[in-house]
Amino acid sequence: MGVFYELANPERFERIAKPLQPALTAIAVLLGGAGLYYALFNSPADYQQGDTVRIMYVHVPAAWMALFCYSVMAFSSAAGFIWKHPLADVSAKVTAPIGAVFTALALFTGSLWGKPMWGAWWAWDARLTSVLILFFLYLGYIAIWESIDDKARAARLAAIVAIVGFVNIPIIKFSVDWWNSLHQPASVFRDGGPTIDGSMLRPLFLMGAAYMIGFGAMLIAAIRNELMARRLQRLSEVAGRKASTVNVE
Amino acid sequence: MTKKQKRFAFIGGIFAVAALAVTLVLTALSSAVAYFYTPSDLDALDHPPTGVIRLGGLVEGGSVQYNKEEAEVHFVIMDEAGRRAVTYRGVLPDLFREGQGVVVEGKLAPDGSVTAMQVLAKHDENYMPREVADALKKQGRWKEGETQNQ
Amino acid sequence: MNGFLAIISRDVALGFKAGGGTVQTALFFALTALVFAIAVGPDTALLSRIAAPTLWAAALLSALVSLDRIFQADFEDGSLDVIVETADLLEGRVLAKAIAHWIAACLPLILATPVLALLLSLPAQGYWPLVLSLLVGTPALSFIGAISAAVTLSLRRAGVLIAILTAPLYAPALIFGVAAANAGASGAPNFIPSLLFLGAGTLFSMILAPLAGAAAIRFNMS
Repeated sequence: MGVFYELANPERFERIAKPLQPALTAIAVLLGGAGLYYALFNSPADYQQGDTVRIMYVHVPAAWMALFCYSVMAFSSAAGFIWKHPLADVSAKVTAPIGAVFTALALFTGSLWGKPMWGAWWAWDARLTSVLILFFLYLGYIAIWESIDDKARAARLAAIVAIVGFVNIPIIKFSVDWWNSLHQPASVFRDGGPTIDGSMLRPLFLMGAAYMIGFGAMLIAAIRNELMARRLQRLSEVAGRKASTVNVE
Repeated sequence: MTKKQKRFAFIGGIFAVAALAVTLVLTALSSAVAYFYTPSDLDALDHPPTGVIRLGGLVEGGSVQYNKEEAEVHFVIMDEAGRRAVTYRGVLPDLFREGQGVVVEGKLAPDGSVTAMQVLAKHDENYMPREVADALKKQGRWKEGETQNQ
Repeated sequence: MNGFLAIISRDVALGFKAGGGTVQTALFFALTALVFAIAVGPDTALLSRIAAPTLWAAALLSALVSLDRIFQADFEDGSLDVIVETADLLEGRVLAKAIAHWIAACLPLILATPVLALLLSLPAQGYWPLVLSLLVGTPALSFIGAISAAVTLSLRRAGVLIAILTAPLYAPALIFGVAAANAGASGAPNFIPSLLFLGAGTLFSMILAPLAGAAAIRFNMS
């Protein structure tokens, strides 16, 4: 917990985040480059899917991140709710657009894969439908922040929305196991170990690590941005108040 | 009731309702809610469904016949206990082959076969290069038995 | 407990009063269903196949447009302040308001469903499954909707935002409701499981609504 309290102070956060951000960005770019190299050039074609399997290296980690970002958002919201700490609210707020982009990427690449493999761009199957709902939950969460001016109140109300929407996450994860679904069941995080050949796991995990660390870099950048924007707003409010008192005098 | 009693009653109510909801879900999960029927599901029905249905299973080895004149393809979908003939006119997905899991969407014809409007190939959770698949087959560790390479 | 029942009877009475919203919501429901029917045109076979999904979608949309009535009027005239001040347990009052919304906005729709089903040429064996699925599923619409209504309480012109927040959360109820209605009509085996899922969703939202709704109201009133 000590680490969190240290980080929870915006100035300390800035001191740690400032050097961390370029470092994480560099690592993410390197891992992503290596991952893409293995994914596109140095991994075997699948025995059934052929080269289309390469879409998976972009699609699967994006889908992991879609769920992970929502979980980060919901837990930050809960933390902000319980400890009323502004940094938790900020991290929940800025995670939403990042998560929405990962979700859109997963939906888009899944669709590209589905057309040649399943024979359809889209099917109203449990997994696909629940991920589409996730996308709209992200958008609704963003809409809440945009329509409430008072930051503290927006944070509390958006937190409620995020926590209520969290029920969708286990539904997404287990939809392919609970129902006869068109989407294939889990291949990596399942009982009995992965059912993906080692030569294909390497690019998959490289891409997954690149996405995860890239998310860390984006999160830090977005939090710093948001903190700076808020400081600017406070400054201009103070300046405006001073200016108006001067005018009155 | 005092304020405290009300609060206890409320929390008790939450647990009671949650327990009931979980019971309902577990009861429902014990009978599958399906994106598709399997052939044996269909056989088990008293009244054959009337509207559009989805049927899923493996394409039976050796059952695929192309009818060039009518541009139709006939095949049989099977599972452990049942089999069902399917007629389809249209483009098949890349993954369609004998031994492959497929889901077809269509209507039951009077003779019990399915006239498909769409054929979707279902991919399984296994990903491997062709050499590994071949090696597994050679060692006799291949599970589905009749999957073929194209 | 008295406060709980008092809120239900008061809100329901207000709803059924002239201009109280019940009649308007029912009219909206009928018009939505008819818009679908007119759009489909003279293809009766197609219409009879989509009758149950159409009526479920129409019920969902009607619930959506009536949600701002749950708290908005009370917030504007200050009676919500009184409720918050005097309630021993705000959660209970929120639950009462959601139940009142179901009685005043959703129950009339279910009563009107057989007539509209006739116009949409729903097959005779589809009536009971449809009505049953609506009875089990629409309370979830009121409960989940109460959360969004409470969250958007202090916003002016919250109508579209309520719809954006609520519609994704309505999807499971819609999916299992339509599945139950269709399965019941065709004798498919997933009729009972779909109804059970629907009922479980209603119960879960019944827990969630008072907790999240009361929290949102407190934040909006502070």
